[in-house]
Amino acid sequence: MSVEIVVFAILAIFAVGGGFGIIVTKNPFRAAMWMVLSFIGSAGIFVMLDAVFIAMLQLIVYAGAITVMVVIAMYTMDRLTIASLKRFNNQAYFGALFGLGILLDFIVIASKLKINTVYMGKNLSIAGSNVKAIGDVLFKSYLLPFEITAIVLLIALFGAVALTKKDL
Amino acid sequence: MLAAYMFVSVLLFAIGATGAMIRRNFLIVLMSLELMINGAGMALIVMSYYIGNVSGQVMFLFVAAVAASETAVGLAIVAMMYKNKKSVDINDFTTLRK
Repeated sequence: MSVEIVVFAILAIFAVGGGFGIIVTKNPFRAAMWMVLSFIGSAGIFVMLDAVFIAMLQLIVYAGAITVMVVIAMYTMDRLTIASLKRFNNQAYFGALFGLGILLDFIVIASKLKINTVYMGKNLSIAGSNVKAIGDVLFKSYLLPFEITAIVLLIALFGAVALTKKDL
Repeated sequence: MLAAYMFVSVLLFAIGATGAMIRRNFLIVLMSLELMINGAGMALIVMSYYIGNVSGQVMFLFVAAVAASETAVGLAIVAMMYKNKKSVDINDFTTLRK
């Protein structure tokens, strides 16, 4: 039990510290690197919660694909233009106060959470395979949302291409 | 232990919301949005574990797909704005306000 708490603490420090690094660092490239650290910490927490397939998805989609897209978009811009910006808005104090309010609000909601934990950690895999359980639910109960997700991805890529055309 | 997992998820969401509100660089605002999506997804995974139902993980799959398409469109908007204005400062993006 204590080993679980220690591992959780390390991963939580990775995830939250990486997120904090995104919003305080000045250089956007370093912010992308902090983002990778945060996503790796989140993936470790997902492994602790028996969501192995989702952890792999997190590493491939977020820490791989999205970070590469952001970094390549950064490479197409002038370094001095994006690095010499002022760091925070003029009303940053109000924004930070608002974020603190959101945090306290959700902490109150999450601390009042009372759920029945008799099924804790059960039903998450079929015959030892998490992928099999996810596929079972995905293709039996959520087939129409799955198809709609494919259409959403296709239209988003069309929109991205159309937005960056020469004359809009 | 449930409270600790939920606390991490809430903290990720709040940090992302704060970053989206206080930063001036559009690229970092997009990264903060990713952080908010990740926090919300972590709440889905935590509930999926404690309730004992795999549907939350399926929901995270949809969330990840929507996040990827959101990043593609957001980066296209950043590229277009940079091409027109030579800047990624969100305070310069006020063409709709006039």
